[in-house]
Amino acid sequence: MPELLAPRYWAVHLLALVLTAAAGVLGFWQYDAWNARRDAEAVDLTRVAPEPLSALMGPDDPFPGTKIGQPVVLGGTWVPDGTVYVSGREHEGRKGYWVVTPLAIPGPTDPALPVVRGWVADPAEAPHAPTGAAEFVGWLQPSEGSRTADDDRTDDVLPQLRVADVIQHVDQDLYGAYAVVADDVAPGAWPVGPTATNDGTGGLARPGLEQLPEVSTFTAVRNLLYAVEWWIFGLFAAFIWWRWTQDVRAAERAPEAAEAEPVPSDP
Amino acid sequence: MNSALTRYRVMATVVGVLLIVLCLIGVPLANFDGSGMWGIFPSTPAWFPVGSTAHEVGELITSYLGVAHGWLYMIFLLTAFQLSRRAAWDLPFTIVTLICGTIPVVSFWAEHRATARVRAERATAVPTSART
Repeated sequence: MPELLAPRYWAVHLLALVLTAAAGVLGFWQYDAWNARRDAEAVDLTRVAPEPLSALMGPDDPFPGTKIGQPVVLGGTWVPDGTVYVSGREHEGRKGYWVVTPLAIPGPTDPALPVVRGWVADPAEAPHAPTGAAEFVGWLQPSEGSRTADDDRTDDVLPQLRVADVIQHVDQDLYGAYAVVADDVAPGAWPVGPTATNDGTGGLARPGLEQLPEVSTFTAVRNLLYAVEWWIFGLFAAFIWWRWTQDVRAAERAPEAAEAEPVPSDP
Repeated sequence: MNSALTRYRVMATVVGVLLIVLCLIGVPLANFDGSGMWGIFPSTPAWFPVGSTAHEVGELITSYLGVAHGWLYMIFLLTAFQLSRRAAWDLPFTIVTLICGTIPVVSFWAEHRATARVRAERATAVPTSART
C-alpha cells in the first residue's frame, strides 16, 4: 500500500479537501453576490416607491441620470391633439407603434411630459386619445437619441421618442423626458392600474420599458475580486497538499536508497 | 535563508497590521449600522448609522483595503511557503503558520513563533556544521 494512503495521513488529505472546497464555495458565494448586486442595480428602480415628478426634475431640467426607470406620480391634463405614434416598437414579436400622448402638468397650457400609453399594431386601430384630468404612475425615461431623423414631419408618426420631435406636435414646452404608464410598482396606495385616474391605457397593449439603468463595470467589482482571490487560495491549498505528497514519497524512497548504498565510512 | 526569513517577516507584518485595520476597525464601522451583516447575522448593533462619517470611512476601508489585503495575503502565503521549504518545516507547523496569518492579532504570534524557530534551528545548525 502506498505510504500516502496510510491512515495516519487521512486527516491531512481531509484537511486539504476541506480547505480547497471551502475556498471554492466562498468564491462562488462572492461570485453570486457580484451577479446579484449587478442585477439589482439594473432593474430595481422600477419597483421603488414612486415619487412626485417635481421632486426629480422641473420642465427645464436635464434628465436626472440616476433615475432611469424611476416610478413617478403624474397628475395633469391630457393634450390629446399632441398624440404621436412611435414606429418600430415590438410587442410579442410583432412590429407596431407606441401610442404617446403628452400630459400637461398640471394645467392644459403648462409644460407637458410625453406619456407612452400603450402599443398598437397599426395607428388606425388606436382608441381615441384621452381628454381631461388624469393621475397615474409612470416610469421615467430619458428622451431617446438622435440617430434617426423624422423623415416626414407632416404626419404624427415618429421614428423614435425624441422630445425635440414631439415638440412639433404641441403648443407648450415639454420636459426633457418621457414616461411609460406603470402597471406594477411598489406596494402602497399608488394610482396604478384600477386605481389610476384616466390613465389612457384602455384598448392598448402594454409597452415594454426600453431603457433601464446601465450597470457600471465597477459595480460590485469587489465581490468579483474576492471570488477570484478565494479560488486562488483554493488552488494554493491544493498546491501545498501536492508538495507535501511529493515530500512523503521522497521520504519513502530515501531509506530504501540509503539501504542500497554501500556504507563506506564504516571501517 | 536570511532573505527568505526577511521577506516572510515583512509580509507577515504588513498583512498583520492591515488585518487589524480591516477586521477590527473597518468591518465594525461599515457593518454595525443596525441592519443584518453578510446575510449571516440577522442584526448588528446600531453604532454607526448609514450616512455617518464613521460608516463611510468603514466602507472605504472594507472596499479598498479589503481587496488589497486579499492580494497581499497571497504574497504573504508565497513568502511563508517559501520559508517553510527552505527551513524544512513539517506540515502541521507550516499549516498553522499559514492559517494563523489570517487571524487578526494571532498573526503576530504566528510570525514570532516562526521566526523563533528559524533562529533556534540556525543556532544549533552552526556548531554542527563547524564540526565537520
